[in-house]
Amino acid sequence: MALDFRARQAANQRKTILLLAVMACVMAAVVWAVAYYLGYTSIGVVPIAVFVVVGGSWWSYYASDKLVLTMTGARVVDEQQAPQLHNLVEEIALAAGLPKPRIAIVEDTAPNAFATGRDPAHGLIAYTTGILQLMDREELQGVTAHEMSHIGNRDTLVATVAATTAGAIALMTDLAMRIMWFGGGDRRRDNDNNNNPIMMIIALVVMILGPLAALLLKSAVSRSRESLADATGVSFTRNPAGLRRALENLESNTTVVHSRSTALAHLWIESPLDNTGTNKLFMTHPPLKERIAALRQMEGETV
Amino acid sequence: MNAAVWVVVGIAVLAAIIFFSQYNGLIRKKVAVDEAFAQIEVQLQRRNDLIPNLVETVKGYAAHESSTFEKVVQARAAATAAHGVAEVAAADGAITQALRGLLAVAENYPDLKASANFLSLQEELSTTENKVGFSRQYYNDSVRTLNTAIEVIPGRFFAGMAGATKRDFYEVPDAENRNAPQVKF
Repeated sequence: MALDFRARQAANQRKTILLLAVMACVMAAVVWAVAYYLGYTSIGVVPIAVFVVVGGSWWSYYASDKLVLTMTGARVVDEQQAPQLHNLVEEIALAAGLPKPRIAIVEDTAPNAFATGRDPAHGLIAYTTGILQLMDREELQGVTAHEMSHIGNRDTLVATVAATTAGAIALMTDLAMRIMWFGGGDRRRDNDNNNNPIMMIIALVVMILGPLAALLLKSAVSRSRESLADATGVSFTRNPAGLRRALENLESNTTVVHSRSTALAHLWIESPLDNTGTNKLFMTHPPLKERIAALRQMEGETV
Repeated sequence: MNAAVWVVVGIAVLAAIIFFSQYNGLIRKKVAVDEAFAQIEVQLQRRNDLIPNLVETVKGYAAHESSTFEKVVQARAAATAAHGVAEVAAADGAITQALRGLLAVAENYPDLKASANFLSLQEELSTTENKVGFSRQYYNDSVRTLNTAIEVIPGRFFAGMAGATKRDFYEVPDAENRNAPQVKF
């Protein structure tokens, strides 16, 4: 069923909300499982896990632009240094009704780009020297529109929420397992509460599978945000062909960016990890073929 | 306090939340439309400011094409005097057409096309045309959002209170002028 870009945007937004809701349920289930299995005095493990993960995640969200600049070695460029690039980005900022983000360049022959920043006022878009050489103005503008969409749709925030939840789930179950292993937990020594063995097993299964479910959900959220960014980008340029040709270019180009840390993989327009045999369920981006097909459909719709 | 009181309080709070979000939402959309229109005017002004430079550069190589220059200068003067969406859009269309004529003239002068001055103006003119186009697009998007919000329920009950009325889309009158003049040589 061919959808125009507005319908796709709406569909992807709903998908994100659904996925985050499911993640919240998984979190609730894990909290219950930990409490049930270990007894309520070990419930202290929950606030500890949440506090640690929230503290770490939210600091990195708040300082995301500075952090990413340091980790990738990108340098900010002004209008004198890259006039055409600045013009191109400013055009998209006008179409999006967003403030113009800062622009940075990463020295790397692999073509790629990313966007970050805690909100549109602190936005940053970075391009590798590779992508600037490979793509023409129209393609580069399509890529820029995609990146600007991430900023406009607050995807740094969404990713942080998803990562925080997944991280908290992982840490909670980890702590709970350790407590269990070292013979802690009141439940097992408790004689006067009904220790339903079936519920105990269910609780254990939830604790083991919880982190895996959270990881799958986090990847699904990332993919739906990428599809949303593609559709939103089209709403800015009204030219799906630009981004589509850019992605086709990326498809045939096999060099990968040097900065391949898993922490940053989701930020790039083409994940450096996606060709390393990652299972489709864990991919941070939908496969390039799917994205290109979706854009071709949008080309059919747009006058 | 009995349950009935809590229910009433709950309903009152809910009603207040709905009221504020609807009213404020309309205000924001209204302001967004005004800002978007101002942005179009900013970009049109930038284009107007580029024109004298462009005319002088072309004149340097093609002095006798006076009728073409006249058209551009006149269109620019008219644009400066325009107010309101319809007038601005019409003046915008006239300049686009005049610029197209000027650039067509420039086609015939290879010395002009190769000059450094003209080349640097190329990028400026091209990006300015794009910016005018995108700012028009964003204005129309904002108008669409506002007009829709005013017509749907429950928005329409708050529209009068918020002073929000339907706004006009920015329409380019002549179909030919919908495309920016090409600056590729």
